[in-house]
Amino acid sequence: MRRLSLSSRLALLFAACTAVVSLFAGVLFSRASEAHFVELDQQLLDGKLIGLRRALHDIQSSESEVKLADELSRQADLSLRITGSDGKRWYDSSTRLPQELPTQAGLSTVSSEGTDYRVLNAPLYLDKPDSPQLTLLLDITHHQHFLQRMQHLIWLTVGLSALATALLGAWAARSGLRPLRRMSAVACGVSAQSLNARLPEKNMPPELAEMAHNFNAMLGRLDDSFQRLSAFSADIAHELRTPLSNLLTHTQVTLTRPRPIEDYREALHSNLEELQWMAQLVNDMLYLAKADHGLLMPKREPLELAEEADLLLEFFAPLAEDAQVKLSREGSARMEGDRSMLRRALSNLLDNALRFTPVEGEVRVRIVDQPEGLNVIVENSGDGIDGALLPRLFDRFYRADPARQEGSSEHAGLGLAITQSIIRAHGGQIHCESDNGWTRFVIELPRT
Amino acid sequence: MKLLIVEDQPKTGHYLRQGLTEAGFNTELVADGSAGQQLALSGDYALLILDVMLPGRDGWQILQAVRSAGLDTPVLFLTARDAVEDRVHGLELGADDYLVKPFAFSELLARVRSLLRRGNATPQETTLQLADLRLDLIRRRVERSGQRIDLTAKEFALLEMLLRRQGEVLPKSLIASQVWDMNFDSDTNVIEVAIRRLRLKIDDEFPNKLIHTVRGMGYVLEERPA
Repeated sequence: MRRLSLSSRLALLFAACTAVVSLFAGVLFSRASEAHFVELDQQLLDGKLIGLRRALHDIQSSESEVKLADELSRQADLSLRITGSDGKRWYDSSTRLPQELPTQAGLSTVSSEGTDYRVLNAPLYLDKPDSPQLTLLLDITHHQHFLQRMQHLIWLTVGLSALATALLGAWAARSGLRPLRRMSAVACGVSAQSLNARLPEKNMPPELAEMAHNFNAMLGRLDDSFQRLSAFSADIAHELRTPLSNLLTHTQVTLTRPRPIEDYREALHSNLEELQWMAQLVNDMLYLAKADHGLLMPKREPLELAEEADLLLEFFAPLAEDAQVKLSREGSARMEGDRSMLRRALSNLLDNALRFTPVEGEVRVRIVDQPEGLNVIVENSGDGIDGALLPRLFDRFYRADPARQEGSSEHAGLGLAITQSIIRAHGGQIHCESDNGWTRFVIELPRT
Repeated sequence: MKLLIVEDQPKTGHYLRQGLTEAGFNTELVADGSAGQQLALSGDYALLILDVMLPGRDGWQILQAVRSAGLDTPVLFLTARDAVEDRVHGLELGADDYLVKPFAFSELLARVRSLLRRGNATPQETTLQLADLRLDLIRRRVERSGQRIDLTAKEFALLEMLLRRQGEVLPKSLIASQVWDMNFDSDTNVIEVAIRRLRLKIDDEFPNKLIHTVRGMGYVLEERPA
């Protein structure tokens, strides 16, 4: 079954509500007017009953017959029947009265041969138990006609108002849902080339404003990731182009004419360096690609972080001594993780720190064991990093010092990105802060 | 000592054979998995170098056949894919080592030599020597021309490795892995610096240098004619 559109549902709902409300009001009104008529009739008949009893007090005298006729003629739509206590009919004021009438005392309504009567039964003598019965009949046909007309009117009102609200409701719903259609139109137009499209949040009704905001935020995140991804691809091409062009040029120039054997050897050595650099780059990129696809699955080995840090500091000791930088470690903690991945992550941080620490400076590894998690902080003294650059440090190919120097074994700028991937694969976070002459990489790892 | 290479890419296979032959190994190359398996099962080889993706039978299948025939020939896998499952799969099946393309030839050579050495344990030596350089493993002392040289623990371990594998070109990654137990790709120049510092103590004061840099490949300890 096809599902009804939102506007149709709303319109039908409005119509149903209006119909129910107007029907209820109509029924209430018609009941009230009917009750009102009954009340009026009761009053009238009660009044007449007193007059008739008085007129019939002594039925023997001819004067009282005149009195009775007089009493009845004053109200043209009133008829009278007198029945004896044995049920025999004594008197009918009109010949057209219905044969069968209710016998119970009090007011009732009877319909006979197209005429409606209000019937009141009462004993003639209140003090005699076998008194003859007076039956007063009031012709109320015109009242009933009025009530019927009113009922028709009510049904008509119900129908018309339901129809009207259905139409109005449909219109209102359509215009009320216009922002949704706008949203859908924007969503339709979004592609990789137009991720910068946004919904106008200002003109949105409050109910949709939040959704519009979230929708825009989603577009923003997609846009950001996509930008980074395209920048990454562009960077890969660029990073590979430089060594490739060196290789091509150098090889072709070398081959243009015969040369001494030393020149060939030199050319091959130079090519080897470029190739190794490219191989390293490709391996690093594959590592990151694996991380992106969630394929970096850390082992869970019990690790003594202090021990790991000391081993790494021992590894970097020659470099530090050479650069006259002091290395130290404080704190300790145990955790579960992948030894070789975490070593790689920390080694990238230490290598990075050593590169930016001035002579006589210091590099510290601090392990902070807190109840809510572990922190491993790698910090180095030095000039610090501009705050605006901090968030970009973990971007791929980002280098604080632009342009790789020709022939140097400078990094491709993937080290920190790899570190971040490893930490994330362990369920942790890494960020960098820089103040008071210290640059600090803070790794937050969850307690395992 | 015969090695078998099963590699279907002609260029790779050719260069591998050339390199290994020039390094002094008797090397055979086949490009087809089924033919490779037949040769491997003959038991004539000291080491198998297998590509994973092969026509006929793949590297895993050859390894399985070799192991189920009761042969414990060391097997070194080469693959272009570095999927964790591949690595685990290979090691479960009984592979001895694993290299992901692109790899450096010096790395391959060093690993081949490690695997070949594994089988025949060298007798316990108490001293290692090259020319006038002597390393006493028991007293943890190093002398050159009778002159005592003080080394840190890691410098000692580094020199021991160079002496044990003298004449072999040792790539930086292998040195980092063996001496410092750092088994990851790293483009840090720690090893360069460590070698330089070792040279300062071992070679600088002496006319005949023993530690040599093989450009783009690694380091070698050997006596070269002046």
